[in-house]
Amino acid sequence: MHIRKYDFDFARRAFLGKAGALAGAGILTPLWPLIARAGDITKAYPEELLSIEAYTKGKIKTGDVITADNVETVKDLLTPIAYKEVKEMGRRIRIVPTTTDITRLFPADYLEATLRNNGKAKLDADGNVVTADGQPWIGGNPFPNAQTGIEAFANITMSWGRHNNALYAIRDWDIGPDGEIGYQYDFAWVEENTIGRVGVESPYLAGHEDKLRYQTVLFTGPNDVKGTAYLSTWYADQRKFPDLVGYIPAFKRVRKFPTNQRFEPLVAGITVYLSDAWAAGDPMLTWGNFKLIERRPMLAAVSDNWHPEHPNWEPPVHGGPAGKTFSETAMELCPEVLIVEAEPVGYPRAPVGKKRVFIDARNMIYIGCHTYDRRGELFKSFEPAYSLYEKGPHRDMTGKHTTWTWTGVHSHDVQTNRMSRFNQVKSIVGGIASGRNIDGLYEKYMTAQAIRRLGA
Amino acid sequence: METIRHKVARMAVRNGWRTIGVALLISLVFGYGLFRVEARTIFSDLFPRTHPFVQAYIDHPNFGNPLTVTIMVKRTDGQDIYSAETMAKINAISRDIDLVPGVDHDQIVSIATAKARYTTLTADGIYSNPIMDDTPPTTPKELAEIRRRVGESPFARTFLVSADGTAALINATFIERLVDYGTVFDQVQALVKKHSDAQHEIHVAGWPTLTGWVYHFGGDTVKIFAVTLGLMFLCLLLVMRNTAGVLTPVIVSTISAIWGFGFVGWIGHPVEPLLMVVPLLLIARSFSHSVQAAERYYELLREYGDKRKAAELSLAVMVAPGTLGIFTDACGLLLVGLAPIPAMERFALFTGFWALMLVPTSVILTPVLLSLLPAPKNLDKLVGSSKDAGIVHRLLEVVLGNLGRLSTGRLAKLSAIGFAVVAVLALGLMTKIQVGNPVEGSNLLREDSAFNTAVRDINAHFPGVMSLEVIFEGKEGRIVRQADTLIAMRALQRCLERQPHPPTATLSFADYAPEANRLFNGGNPKWMPLDRDDAAVSAAANALMMGTSPKAFLHVADFEQKNATVSLWYPNNKQATVDAALADARQCIAAVGPEHDTFRIRLASGSIALQQSINDTVDTYQWYILAGLNLIIGIGCSIAYRSVAAALVLLVPVNLANALLTAYMVLMGMGLDVNSLPILAIGIGVGIDYGIYMVSRICEEYRDAKHMGDAITAALLTCGKAILFTALLMTIGILPWYVLSELKFLSDMGLLLIVVMTINMILALLLVPLLLYLFRPRFVSAEHHALSESLDDSLVPRPATAPSGL
Repeated sequence: MHIRKYDFDFARRAFLGKAGALAGAGILTPLWPLIARAGDITKAYPEELLSIEAYTKGKIKTGDVITADNVETVKDLLTPIAYKEVKEMGRRIRIVPTTTDITRLFPADYLEATLRNNGKAKLDADGNVVTADGQPWIGGNPFPNAQTGIEAFANITMSWGRHNNALYAIRDWDIGPDGEIGYQYDFAWVEENTIGRVGVESPYLAGHEDKLRYQTVLFTGPNDVKGTAYLSTWYADQRKFPDLVGYIPAFKRVRKFPTNQRFEPLVAGITVYLSDAWAAGDPMLTWGNFKLIERRPMLAAVSDNWHPEHPNWEPPVHGGPAGKTFSETAMELCPEVLIVEAEPVGYPRAPVGKKRVFIDARNMIYIGCHTYDRRGELFKSFEPAYSLYEKGPHRDMTGKHTTWTWTGVHSHDVQTNRMSRFNQVKSIVGGIASGRNIDGLYEKYMTAQAIRRLGA
Repeated sequence: METIRHKVARMAVRNGWRTIGVALLISLVFGYGLFRVEARTIFSDLFPRTHPFVQAYIDHPNFGNPLTVTIMVKRTDGQDIYSAETMAKINAISRDIDLVPGVDHDQIVSIATAKARYTTLTADGIYSNPIMDDTPPTTPKELAEIRRRVGESPFARTFLVSADGTAALINATFIERLVDYGTVFDQVQALVKKHSDAQHEIHVAGWPTLTGWVYHFGGDTVKIFAVTLGLMFLCLLLVMRNTAGVLTPVIVSTISAIWGFGFVGWIGHPVEPLLMVVPLLLIARSFSHSVQAAERYYELLREYGDKRKAAELSLAVMVAPGTLGIFTDACGLLLVGLAPIPAMERFALFTGFWALMLVPTSVILTPVLLSLLPAPKNLDKLVGSSKDAGIVHRLLEVVLGNLGRLSTGRLAKLSAIGFAVVAVLALGLMTKIQVGNPVEGSNLLREDSAFNTAVRDINAHFPGVMSLEVIFEGKEGRIVRQADTLIAMRALQRCLERQPHPPTATLSFADYAPEANRLFNGGNPKWMPLDRDDAAVSAAANALMMGTSPKAFLHVADFEQKNATVSLWYPNNKQATVDAALADARQCIAAVGPEHDTFRIRLASGSIALQQSINDTVDTYQWYILAGLNLIIGIGCSIAYRSVAAALVLLVPVNLANALLTAYMVLMGMGLDVNSLPILAIGIGVGIDYGIYMVSRICEEYRDAKHMGDAITAALLTCGKAILFTALLMTIGILPWYVLSELKFLSDMGLLLIVVMTINMILALLLVPLLLYLFRPRFVSAEHHALSESLDDSLVPRPATAPSGL
């Protein structure tokens, strides 16, 4: 039976109604109590928000590919830059079913911590996330039902990869306006959360409670950058800039760098700034004027983006002037996405005027980030893809659970039309393989001695 | 026997309204194209694309900073820039230029941006911090600290702050795909206005600024067009004083303009605002052809008293000389396209087509329109004998009568000697013409323009804005990370710096790498020299690139670091300096070796090289164009008059006019450049018209008079008057460009066109008759040639009044 109340326009009216009140997630019923009870979101949203076919009145179906020919149908579901990429640059997006089982959108331990710690987080007088008794955060999304912009930002800042630690073996291609590859790098991105740890006895790494995380970038290829490494130490106090040290093997010295210059790429050719990482690359409180400006359905790459059919998990590419600009991406209809804005108030000379981050209400992971220049013109897009790592007979495990993590990123400077696309691959030059919750990762990768040793 | 031209004339005039209808129909089609006309300067199209320097520029467009706006903040009160007020200005301009559309946010460099850094070493690390902190300094202590930091940054103290500390630069590079030169210009000029005061001058240079100035002054085009058209109309009104005589040239010129502009709209070529003087020249040509036809019509109308017959006969007799005149116009304009400069090629097609369209409009439509409009009541004053004519006409007849005496009779030989002397002198002076017309900055603008003043001032305080770029073109790998590249760069720079006339500054990637090596090795200067192996060079390059984008080094190496440049700055861009610089560069490249395993060294890009490419092209192609014009016009005239002698009689004066123009340029201290290249072709192509009309009329008069002297005098008093009038119209059409245009390019073109057209007119009135009088070629007395203006008696009715006796 068709209930007229939930007709095609219902969701739009419902979101318009919510925009004023900025109510919690879920339309038919609040999302998080539902998730806590059953782990399923089906009852929180009408069918038109759970099925692309219903939403588009049958014009787009699961399995269809969004191209320049049909992108107008889903224009309001894409970020402005994703729309431009499809419309003007030959990008293709494969449509997959909406994920309603919430366990397929989280690492298991992180979901468990999110549910367990729901309602225990608060922002202290300084704006930092703490527990009700003022202790450092204890794990999971602090604000799963984010009501404000800063709460939404806290969710993406406090744990980047949603594991206690992770080593992402990354292969990066940097593509010029001519569509050709100008640079290609292999590097390991290693991160270790020191607070908010999940699935372990203590949420804190003993002796490191004043920190939020350690994070190392180690280049392994090509040869001219092999061994170059950066180590960043983030403080729990989000008003403080991280410490940054770097190492170039030829000079055999670890050197300290200023870290308030965060709108520069780490190495030549890549479009990614320090500030761009995870859409939360800067300490949260060095930005300001947080605003939750809208909630609406969007297409996002949150499932079916793992490519085990390639021996190194590298996705097929297409589009752009030379057919190399975009990785194959699958997107699903996300029933509710929070659109939040912030301004770089702590960076008087930033070339960025604001950033707008798109956050999936189901798991509070960012599905896209646009930065704007100071004139308000679109500057860059940082668009990730995620997946549960299972496909047919293939499965990758993190502990006892199927891995959930990110698979790739498109970082597109639309003003100079330079694209960096990088993927988490099985392994990179130097034999470093991707993995999560690895014992001894901190000692091996995330000390000054470690980066010197790794570059030797 | 009725000839084709008589048939055409009869058909066009007898079906007058239909002829007009067809013309209007065609105008509708071309008129639609008007909506697609775009006036736009494509800067790279102003250079000869086949020249090796231009090819180097096309292959490596980023070297030489062509898309960079350079702003200099200069203290004018003798103080240095280390004051709170000046620092605030530098900071504000650096921030505000980031708001200009199309700017590359990663390529704004000044001592106020995070890109300009100083590096210090402490016990716990290397700190590469911005010279200016997040806010500009205000206290004496902070100002002193900035001064110290600038001193510690070799790049800043050479390229961002002047040696005497009185000036600072802000460089902002724009993204070609996004840049709108007009918007950039307006917003940067607003910054200049906002921050200039009694203590500070703000100067702006760079190619986007130059293009902005061209657009800015291009805005005067409408004003100059209006003034010019108004003056031409007024002139016509004063001379004609009748409806038909005024309306007809205006209508046919409007129609030809619609066809000409509509054509470029249809083919989608942008019209180059820098060459807008030529469309006005064509409107003036259209006026003058129409006036020539009208004059002849009036003579015949007075003679026969029948509008339709007068129109038919005037069209029949004028169609051949008119068409030949337009053919030579079109040849002149089309042959400009021989020079492989895209803007000139488009210009040639546009104006050449328009010129050809003057045949159906000015030549054919004029008598048709005249026959349909009321007959003038002042015929006697227009074309009557001296006693009937107005004072202007009588004055003209006195002058022309005296000119006739110089070309005929006893004075003819003296005149010939006079011309021979003038010719010898002109040819002598011609050999002294310089190629190139350099000002410090751009020759498109006046020497005292804000832009050229800015270039001079920036050159005086910094290494400069006009550079010669020696390209290191990669064959394999990222060449700036290879030892051989950096060694060759240093060797080249050292070689050039040891020459008798060294550059004022040189810069390459090889200058940056040793500093990175020193800092990462602990700061001791002994670590400056790099090991001569790829590993050491690559490490230094990595150190340099840590935490920054390759865009920060785009002035010395491209984004992928596969190509690089050695930039050379010189004290000025005068031809002698440029010649010496190029000779030195060639010698040093030979010493270093142009071909290496992974790269080759190419000459050259940068504004100095591009300037030279134009000069080389002008030098070569002026001769090609001259030869082409003589050949084509010579053949055309020989066929039309069925006489090679006729072609010679016509070509000698226009070539002499060209020699005289060149001599004039030598005397005025002007050089041959791209501004003067079109003048050469237009001067000959358009200038020969006068001769054609003159020769044709003399032939006609000779048929009646059978006496060369009388024929010349009669031709001068009729056709000569029309030539004088049309020359006046042409001058009026061009003079406002010389007087009103702030663009030196247009002003120069205007002046040179006036000079060459005036010389052509004088030679047509003096030298052409003189040559005919002295040599008495047979074609003058020939009964039949295509250019004969004589009337076939069988086709004319009995005269209503007595012949004028001309």
